[in-house]
Amino acid sequence: MSDARSAILAAIATTQARRQVGPRADAATIAAEAAALRGRADATRPDRLGGPLDAVLMRRLVSPAIGATTEQVRALDDLPGAVGRYLAARGLARRVALQPHADLRALRWGDIETHDDIAVDEPVAVGLALGAIAETASLVFHSSPDAPTLFGFLPMHHIVAVRADSIWPWLEDYSDRIAGAGQPRNVNLITGPSGTTDIEGALVRGAHGPGWLHVVLIGTSSQDTAPHSTTSP
Amino acid sequence: MSAAFDARVRAALGNPLLKVAIDRTTGTARTKRAAAMAAWPEFAEARLLGRDIKDHVVAHLDHYLVEFERNAVASGAKVHWARTGQEACEIVIKICEDAGARSVTRAKSMLGEEIGLPHAMADAGIERVETDLAEHIIQLAGDPPSHIVWPALHKTREQVAELFRAHHSDPGAMETVEQMVASARRVLREKFMAADVGISGANFLVADTGSICTVTNEGNAELTTTPPRVHIVTAGIEKLVPSTSHAMALLRLLVRSATGAELTQYTTFHCGPKHAGDRDGPAEFHIVLVDAGRTKMLDDGLAEMLRCLRCGACLNHCVVYRQIGGHAYGATYPGPLGSVLTPALTNLADSVDLPRACTLNGQCEEVCPVAIPLPTLLRGWRDRSWREGLEPAPLRAGMRMWRFMVQRPALNRMGTDMALLAMRLFAKGGWIRSMPLAGGWTAHRDFPAPQGPSFLTQVRNREKRS
Repeated sequence: MSDARSAILAAIATTQARRQVGPRADAATIAAEAAALRGRADATRPDRLGGPLDAVLMRRLVSPAIGATTEQVRALDDLPGAVGRYLAARGLARRVALQPHADLRALRWGDIETHDDIAVDEPVAVGLALGAIAETASLVFHSSPDAPTLFGFLPMHHIVAVRADSIWPWLEDYSDRIAGAGQPRNVNLITGPSGTTDIEGALVRGAHGPGWLHVVLIGTSSQDTAPHSTTSP
Repeated sequence: MSAAFDARVRAALGNPLLKVAIDRTTGTARTKRAAAMAAWPEFAEARLLGRDIKDHVVAHLDHYLVEFERNAVASGAKVHWARTGQEACEIVIKICEDAGARSVTRAKSMLGEEIGLPHAMADAGIERVETDLAEHIIQLAGDPPSHIVWPALHKTREQVAELFRAHHSDPGAMETVEQMVASARRVLREKFMAADVGISGANFLVADTGSICTVTNEGNAELTTTPPRVHIVTAGIEKLVPSTSHAMALLRLLVRSATGAELTQYTTFHCGPKHAGDRDGPAEFHIVLVDAGRTKMLDDGLAEMLRCLRCGACLNHCVVYRQIGGHAYGATYPGPLGSVLTPALTNLADSVDLPRACTLNGQCEEVCPVAIPLPTLLRGWRDRSWREGLEPAPLRAGMRMWRFMVQRPALNRMGTDMALLAMRLFAKGGWIRSMPLAGGWTAHRDFPAPQGPSFLTQVRNREKRS
């Protein structure tokens, strides 16, 4: 190992040994302390979720702070119809980059032309999120062969389908759930369209990523949000 | 005050546009933060948790560094260690050269600024494209950042329009901020896709997965780190957290404190290079763990400063920063956090003005999401500068005289009473317009005339009465 590595670790160990009373903590003690800290988080979360998870998510997505638009449909089969309505309402060409996910490819897209690669200046991309987090109205994507990262960043309009039975109440419900499950190259939590306040603090959408985010919620949630809930779907 | 610091402060105070620019952005930031905190009654408890998570990591820093390295290597990342900023720059330049990089995109990272990476890249002849909008603006202007969250805070929209007209190939109309943002989007889009290497910082290093977390509102981090063949991360060793869930608890604090939002638009965890079958993502993923004075801070009793999340709330609430802006500090990190960090990262003799440029009103500590006792740490530097003889001779003589006085109560009372008497001679209508030895104050505002006897005399009179 490099000189720098051993020098840095030695410097830390020397300081800690001098400041520490008694022996250094072992890995099990450190893990127990970390678990206790994790346990304290639930009581510090902003406890204002109320109602069914899908209703909370939809309400928060359209709040001015998030700035997304939404539609709720009965089943994934209804997604092409929702995409068609979105394109028509905004006068966009009926041509979309479709995230190469088997569930999306299996749908009947009718007069909407789809392609599974994404151009640098792609007008519209349609994707399927792994799930969503109600607390922050975040969409969760894990990069994989059927979920390339750039589908969430290159298009001007990003239309995202998310299943109502894949909503986690809190950030930690999601992160606890994936712990130890094998991390993808990218976990992307997407919370609204891209924006910047870099010029005189004025909010402008579409800085580098999408300028518009449209969420199509599939189905309804059976689960309610309990205050400080620790359950997950 | 050193002549250089004095000149920078005077230049800042004499620039009316700067004050307008600072007030606009920091005012909005304060209002939004206050609203976010008002909607979060659990903030006080969350803040203590944030403090304790960071203290836990710092107390076991070697344990977590080794765990992070093990997991990062297992995910396919290459982990490098750098004792100094210069070592870190050399590692980054070497990776760029090995990759045959001609063009490198970079997502804003304060650590990169701290270690002088932009200069090192220029010296190595590598094209550096800053992709954060504010960093793009100041790169075109040739300015250093003036705020850690809004680096171009000192630029008005008219100045930005002028820069873009001069530097963008097809700027189009530049009447509105929307048009300026759209022009930058067009220019940078091509750069993102053409880059050979993308460089980012890290808001968190997650020990149990070996992943690194970036937060942006623009989406420039992901466009910087995904298309190129090589992704390099430079991160301070204090950025560790035990797990993703611990990062979540800190994200709630970081984002609300920085912008008032609950979460940035893009929160991304990057772990290893792209996997087999992935259509995008880098083939190589390098993480450079940088000490650059952090282990020394641990040793020098500045461990509390290693909690810092770089949210910038202490800048937005600092009465000094809001008058003089970021450039006057003459350091990478301005404001209260910078005045604590700069003497530690450089040396006290060259930065002794910074801990002095503080009213100790305590607002920075109050808004700090991880409860860093900034005023205490600033006082620590003042104490040390006194002990090391760095204070100017007149101040030292004055302090000695004052100590002589206050150790002799009768003399002190007599002196105070005489001073009060003299001050009344200069007062007109309850205010003093000018007075010997008080020119520094009265040149800019009137001084209130003393109301009644001195505090000590009043106490003594009260004791006599009772």
